[in-house]
Amino acid sequence: MRINPLTLKKIRRFRSVKRGYYSFLLFVFLLLQAFFAELWINNRALLVYYEGQFYFPTYRSMIPGSVFMLPYEYETNYRALQKRFEKEGGDNFLIMPLVPYNAFEMDLQESKFPPLPPSITDRHFLGTDAIGRDMVARLVYGFRISIIFSILLLVATFAIGIALGCLMGYWGGKFDLFFQRLIEVWSSIPFLYIIMIIASIVVPSLTILVLIYVIFGWMGMTWYMRTSTYKEKARDYVLAARALGASNLRIIFHHILPNSISLIVTFVPFSVAGGISGLTALDFLGFGLPPPTPSWGELLQQGTSNLQAAWIVSSTVAALVLVMVSITFIGEGVREGFDPKMHSTFE
Amino acid sequence: MIFKILQQALLAAFLLSPGPFSGFAETLPANIKWLSNNSSPIIASPNAKKGGTYRTYMTSFPLTLRTVGPDSNGGFASYLRSNQMSLIELHNNTEEIIPGLATHWAYGKDGKTMYFKLDQEARWSDGTPVTADDFLYTLEFHRSKHIVAPWYNNYYTEKIDRVIKYDDHTLAVVTTKADPDLFLVANIGPTPKHFYGELSKDFVRKYNWKVAPNTGPYQIDAKKIKKGKSITLERKKNWWAKDLRNNKGRYNVDKIQVSVVRDQTTVFEYFKKGRLDDFILTFPTYWHEKAKNLEIYEKGYAKKMWFYLDQRESPAGLYLNQDKEIFKDAKLRYAFAHAMNIDKMLNGLLRGDYSRLQNYSTGFGKYTNPKIRARTFDINKVEELMTESGWKRGSDGIWNKGESRYSVKVTYSFDGHTPRLVLLKEEAKKAGIELRLQRLDGSAAFKSFLEKKHDVAWMAWSTSFRPRYWQGFHSDNAHKPQTNNITNTDDPELDKMIMSYRDSIVPKERIALAHKIQEKIHEIGSFIPTYKVGYLRNIYWRWWQFPEVPATRDASFLFEPLANGLFWMDEELKKETEAAMNSGKTFKPETIIDKTFLVN
Repeated sequence: MRINPLTLKKIRRFRSVKRGYYSFLLFVFLLLQAFFAELWINNRALLVYYEGQFYFPTYRSMIPGSVFMLPYEYETNYRALQKRFEKEGGDNFLIMPLVPYNAFEMDLQESKFPPLPPSITDRHFLGTDAIGRDMVARLVYGFRISIIFSILLLVATFAIGIALGCLMGYWGGKFDLFFQRLIEVWSSIPFLYIIMIIASIVVPSLTILVLIYVIFGWMGMTWYMRTSTYKEKARDYVLAARALGASNLRIIFHHILPNSISLIVTFVPFSVAGGISGLTALDFLGFGLPPPTPSWGELLQQGTSNLQAAWIVSSTVAALVLVMVSITFIGEGVREGFDPKMHSTFE
Repeated sequence: MIFKILQQALLAAFLLSPGPFSGFAETLPANIKWLSNNSSPIIASPNAKKGGTYRTYMTSFPLTLRTVGPDSNGGFASYLRSNQMSLIELHNNTEEIIPGLATHWAYGKDGKTMYFKLDQEARWSDGTPVTADDFLYTLEFHRSKHIVAPWYNNYYTEKIDRVIKYDDHTLAVVTTKADPDLFLVANIGPTPKHFYGELSKDFVRKYNWKVAPNTGPYQIDAKKIKKGKSITLERKKNWWAKDLRNNKGRYNVDKIQVSVVRDQTTVFEYFKKGRLDDFILTFPTYWHEKAKNLEIYEKGYAKKMWFYLDQRESPAGLYLNQDKEIFKDAKLRYAFAHAMNIDKMLNGLLRGDYSRLQNYSTGFGKYTNPKIRARTFDINKVEELMTESGWKRGSDGIWNKGESRYSVKVTYSFDGHTPRLVLLKEEAKKAGIELRLQRLDGSAAFKSFLEKKHDVAWMAWSTSFRPRYWQGFHSDNAHKPQTNNITNTDDPELDKMIMSYRDSIVPKERIALAHKIQEKIHEIGSFIPTYKVGYLRNIYWRWWQFPEVPATRDASFLFEPLANGLFWMDEELKKETEAAMNSGKTFKPETIIDKTFLVN
């Protein structure tokens, strides 16, 4: 594949903005570790060697305790199994991930009550939340869900916003007028109230939440695309394409859209940040994803009502700030790279 | 002219009105067996001293001082209502009938009538004697449209048929139908006719801030009402009932000052600064964390108390909807009960403060069947029951049978309960049952229960004086929306028992039936009892004193200036403590734990 030299130039310009570039690398790393979180934050062992046989429990269906001669049929408790192996001292062994907890199980220890403070021996590196679930696990799995949410939201709102915005700008006239008014009316619906009402009637799942967000949040992108299309439509190359007999759709999607791409790209990071903070806010208020889904909003909520357990609120805020700041830096870098404000100075 | 029309209207009203005025000519039936009670156990301390001010709080200022009509059901209303005595009282611990405004009472042969002899000494707070007319007026007052209180309108029409006056101090209350606990229905209070007079349309506004005369131990000092800030009640120095057997040693503080403090955290801070006299520590987080190493406690200036109750417990638990395919099989219902690790929830999460609820009707005295024990968490039993029904564990450990999977939705409404449910969910997974948690807004959740749309409802009903079963378990209320049989229990045998329980007016028979019904409910297994709180916890300044048994069996608060009124202030201890706080002297920290009424 040959990359358009113009695009190459843009990428080079993006890389030259160091702050944005390093943030981008950091963010990619965060994404990768989150999507493979099962490998380093999990209550399932990475590898079990038992009576001459290897087991890899991570990405398979659960192995009941009876397989390892434990007296129960539910999922093996690998932490306990590891202790047993160590005590028996035979050839059997298992390797646990760095954080040997998943995001749901509560580590209720004897004579101690959650929230438990950070502890290296227990491998609760950031402590536990108010009901004994590992903070690292809650944070990482929560991050994964909010990223998935943001990306789904991004794709859906951009698809609608771009298509409609282009059509409005290109056709203009009554079509444009009608949708302008529709968008104005639609935008004035108080979004948060709608979410609250819906969340009190049905339990929102990830898809329902994305759907609601899309239904009430597709409008933003249309304005920008409409303006940009209006601008591009008046250019000579559009006239030329039309003179050659290109269809409307072809003109929009093959000529106008690629020329507005820089506008779209610059909006992507901010939209992702918006998605994350939106979901966090909803969860904080209790209208988001149903418990026990790991979520940052829920952690913030727990943290503020358990200020004596400072590790909950501080690590959540730190994570939130880290992600938001890095996305903002990426956004700046992208805008600089794709839509530079060239200043020429004459002396 | 106008006067004349009004007169005619009044006359018409007089002739047409059915109840209150119709009983003038009646004479008292012969052979009435008058009852009284002068041997009830004393709950107060003989050492109690009068005096001092008790300072407490309310979260918002009342919108009115009326006890009926719009906005009259706020938190402050309890101060007003507890100051209105009724004909008879129930002893706080034994629940036997003791004299109130009436010294003697008697039951009529029809099972609907109760006769009362009023105490000649009974006085309103303005000095007017309490007479039978005030009880006639209660009916007229509460049936009036002008008070804008449909509930009272309805209650005093549907429940009370009429009041009969024989002379100024003898009357009868006739209810509309025979009731096994007639004394609960017939026990009405007086309404000061001389104060309200003829009601008119402007009642709601006219009496909004008026202090109505009462018969109880305290009265609001109208001059000391600070609108939006505080209300002070003063002890009546010459209260007519102060020497009644059950009232001696009670209602000790001279003043009760109720100030507005809107926020719980602020209340705690105010208490610590000494601006309030006590603080409630019922929540585990307060007792075990926030108030644990409090300086005023460590230095002995404030004491803690943990008082166990024996009260009617609301049936809190999981209600399984038997119209759902999965819960039609009794074995699956039992399996569900054995998959709920309620002990771990109580001990691991709630620090062992709450205790397991064993029975649908707990705390109803003789009406509670003590033999019933709730099913406990037991994975082996789950395995046994599920295999018997032909289910197998799937690859994810959850039970499967053909197309069905043992995965049910648990609907609840209070956000604070999420941690408890999350724990149950994780534990149930081990037993092979998947819970899907659904938190709905309070009214939406309740609506879905009443419409029987839930799989499992996590909720609690409020309690009544005697256990009730028809609403919750009779097949009349099953399989249809907007009824309280949210488990859709439909059992002909149970129906029969419930109907005989409802119709019987013989206590012994009713008790036996109640026990059988509870057994049956346990056997059906559609209700899984969870927990009861069962205690009161407070921290308070050390100069406050209590009787040997600090509170009554089902007290709502340790500091109940009106309902119990058992505590008192020791002036000398107060001076001693205040001096010590200035000089830095300390006392031994003290926590009183009272288990007089603890049952398990």
